Amino acid sequence: MLSDDQVNEIIIEVENVPSGVQRHLASSQIFLRKSTANPTFSMVSSSMTDITDCQIFSNGNDGRHNRLLRFSSLNESISQIHHSPECLGMDETCTFHETVQGQKLISSLIPMTSRDRIKAIRNQPRTMQEKRELRKIVDKEKSKQLLEANCCAQCLSSLSLAYRRSKGNLSELLNYISFWQKTFKVIGGKFGTSVLSYFSFLRWLLKFNIFSFVMNFSFIIIPQFTVAEKNTLQFTGLEFFTGAGYFRDTVMYYGFYTNSTIQHGTSGPFYNMQLAYIFTIGACLVVCFFSLLFSMAKYFRNNFINPHIYSRGIAKLVFCWDFTVTHEKAVKLKQKNLSTEIRENLSEIRQENNRLTLNQQLTQFSAHVAAWLVSTGVAAACCLAVYYLAEYNSEFLKTHRNPGAVLLLPFVVSCINLVVPRFYSMFRLVERYEVPRQEVYILLIRNILLKISIVGILCYYWLNIVALSGEECWETLIGQDIYRLLLMDFVFSLADSLLGEFLRRFIGTKFITSLSLQEFDIARNVLELIYAQTLTWLGIFFCPLLPFIQMITLFIMFYVKNISLMMNFQPPSKAWRASQMITFFIFLLFFPSFTGVLCSLAITIWRLKPSADCGPFRGLPSFIESIYSWIDTLSRRSGYLWVVWIYQNLIGSVHFFFILTLIVLIITYLYWQITEGRKIMIRLLHEQIINEGKDKMFLIEKLTKLQDMEKRANPSALILERREVEKQSPLHLEELSAAHDLRLRRSMHEENPEV
Amino acid sequence: MGNKQTVFTHEQLEEYQVGVGVSPELAQLVWDAGSQESPQSLVCDIRLSVWVWSDWRGKRRDNPEASWFLSPQDCTFFTRKEIMRLFYRYQDLAPQLVPLDYTTCPEVKVPYELISSMPELKDNPFRQRIAQVFSQDGDGHMTLENFLDMFSVMSEMAPRDLKAYYAFKIYDFNNDDYICAWDLEQTVTRLTRGELSAEEVTLVCEKVLDEADSDHDGRLSLEDFQNMILRAPDFLSTFHIRI
Repeated sequence: MLSDDQVNEIIIEVENVPSGVQRHLASSQIFLRKSTANPTFSMVSSSMTDITDCQIFSNGNDGRHNRLLRFSSLNESISQIHHSPECLGMDETCTFHETVQGQKLISSLIPMTSRDRIKAIRNQPRTMQEKRELRKIVDKEKSKQLLEANCCAQCLSSLSLAYRRSKGNLSELLNYISFWQKTFKVIGGKFGTSVLSYFSFLRWLLKFNIFSFVMNFSFIIIPQFTVAEKNTLQFTGLEFFTGAGYFRDTVMYYGFYTNSTIQHGTSGPFYNMQLAYIFTIGACLVVCFFSLLFSMAKYFRNNFINPHIYSRGIAKLVFCWDFTVTHEKAVKLKQKNLSTEIRENLSEIRQENNRLTLNQQLTQFSAHVAAWLVSTGVAAACCLAVYYLAEYNSEFLKTHRNPGAVLLLPFVVSCINLVVPRFYSMFRLVERYEVPRQEVYILLIRNILLKISIVGILCYYWLNIVALSGEECWETLIGQDIYRLLLMDFVFSLADSLLGEFLRRFIGTKFITSLSLQEFDIARNVLELIYAQTLTWLGIFFCPLLPFIQMITLFIMFYVKNISLMMNFQPPSKAWRASQMITFFIFLLFFPSFTGVLCSLAITIWRLKPSADCGPFRGLPSFIESIYSWIDTLSRRSGYLWVVWIYQNLIGSVHFFFILTLIVLIITYLYWQITEGRKIMIRLLHEQIINEGKDKMFLIEKLTKLQDMEKRANPSALILERREVEKQSPLHLEELSAAHDLRLRRSMHEENPEV
Repeated sequence: MGNKQTVFTHEQLEEYQVGVGVSPELAQLVWDAGSQESPQSLVCDIRLSVWVWSDWRGKRRDNPEASWFLSPQDCTFFTRKEIMRLFYRYQDLAPQLVPLDYTTCPEVKVPYELISSMPELKDNPFRQRIAQVFSQDGDGHMTLENFLDMFSVMSEMAPRDLKAYYAFKIYDFNNDDYICAWDLEQTVTRLTRGELSAEEVTLVCEKVLDEADSDHDGRLSLEDFQNMILRAPDFLSTFHIRI
């Protein structure tokens, strides 16, 4: 609406504003004048921002040493800063740090601790040189302040410096341990973030196992090696699969461990194996627990969104392009898939208003019910089958002495785990879901139900039948069972990857070419990982070397899956919401899996009687007796009474846990209320934004109408009016500049389609 | 310990106040205690000893330019080792242009064509915009600092707000601080590589504006964009380039 020279005119007029405005305003105006040949919107708007800011501080303040000690939030600074980065490229000495925003930012950074300051500076959207300048200035100010402060503050600051330095070194050390970076890059480059999430989940589980193994090895296995008895059994190759035979009398199983207090020499240090065993395994599990909890909280916080505000829309498809994909063919494929998805999304939006008839709804509902009944029935049937097989197996083994016969149960369980999930996937043909994501979740829930019920049934069998059967060394038997299950599962996964997937590719490319290559089923693979990890955690008490075995298994699986992925799969065609799914998987790992393990171990330790002549707890009435007797011995010694006190009053008393639970509930309630209040706030603010937008449009229209009318009435009077503007006070200038702002925005908006 | 005159200048040290090192007040105390040297050179000595003792091993330890990188550690999300690795990637792009000695802070810019030939960027539909956003003058030619900035923001350690800010700038093709319909059309065209027809592209742009534009001014501001990103948690993991 306004022509270019009118825009120029406005700029020039504003520049001739009387003094009282700070120096930097003048310099930024000069910058604007230089570049009016190419008037971009941001520069004009930044001038407006500068003006409005200046008005506040123009009251007798020195430009250069303007020190604003008001605390301002960084977000405000960021949103203001992004309007004036152009200031820096100039030959005038208007550096960012002399602008008002810069001063605000600096003054907000000074009172922070150095750690927060570094973090805040890093998160600034500035170039590195600017960040360095900023830090230099802030550090100078800070050191000036510090020299005046007392030596206590100086001590604290040097302490925090030392702490930060050590933390930096530690994180560098941890980065050494991060392996497979290059492989991740290649996988991400070809297949994108979603497939990569499976591999990072695998690596994360590997870290758990490495930690558990290191703990077990240092605290239990090495001491046991020093008092190891000679192994009199024969070694045949079958032990790797059955876990029995030669391995029975090695550090692999519970039964081999001594219950004595190891002491080398008469006055050497002594090592109580019982306590070591229970405390090491307890410590492993506690660390895993907290680590899972924190990961879950972190992912939940980053990735959780209210389901009803989740956009089923198209903006997410447009703005969340996967930048990790770097392979040329993968990029082309992804572009093609994205186009397909966008088209589908467009057609969905058009069809959104189709409601189903009552008949169709009933059919769908009954299909769902039938599917659930069938899946639950199949799961129950499998559980019963496993239970009866397990019972029969023990009798079968007593009569048949074939060592390979023990593999029957693991074989059947692995077959069930292989076949039934694929059977569940076939329900897709019958059931229809409105939201495709629901389908994935329901499939996952069914699969996890199956796997956890099988593990549950086996736990019941082991803890209720095997443990009470009176066999010698029942813990070792359970350990062997778990080892066999794990190994058979590994063998089946290997076979599936090496044979099944290659076969599928062969069929897809040679015979039925319409099938083409398959896509990596992330959900099924992650569930297999969760299942294996559940077994590992379950077995860690009965077979301390199990984390080591799982470590090796995961290592091999990584490479096998990687090779198979590169050769047999194509990149995913649909956007797969990786972050939400990973949150869900970690939750699954925590909730049925880890808590179930904790429950079974609790039952073992508190209720079951250890076997009489093997293992570190032989002869005791229960496993927990070792701790009770230890507390008893401690209470007789004078130096350790505080431990006894803690045990009796904090761990052993009901009141303490009651109070703790009460406090946790209160805190949870408080946070919940805060969240609810914030949701209401968000809704109100959102409405406010919409209203402001409407107001703005209304005002703009009104102004343009007035403008038009005046222009038509008297074109020369317009310029006269503007000349009067400069004589007015700065406050009026602000209002008028805001009006100019609106008009310019509107004009820019109209001019833009021509660009 | 090495001749500190050749490793770095006093002025550089004073400028690159390092997080790993000595605070100036400690140097001031030492100076007050009667040392003849100025605080800056003391700081120089102490920092040099810290650096030599530091756990940064590798064959590059003797190279003087490594000292330059004590400071970017606090401005980027990378560790010292990663910064050195990035420097050598940068140097490999243009070995004749980029000197191995950065103590003189040379003003070297690698041209856009070489940057866009990097394997991480060469097939990215937005590589031109990325280079423009992070380069000093908006033309795509990047200095080492621009290069480090770019990969620091695109790394997995950068927070969501920072990434959202730069993503907004990348998608804002005409640099007007708003993503208008034309910007969206450009974005969608690059994303779909001509698979969608012109009407479909326009429809997509309209739908995006409908969904994300909360103040209904016909284009997306930074706040609208950030608001929309909050509803798409995958953004954090997809706006990520591994190097």
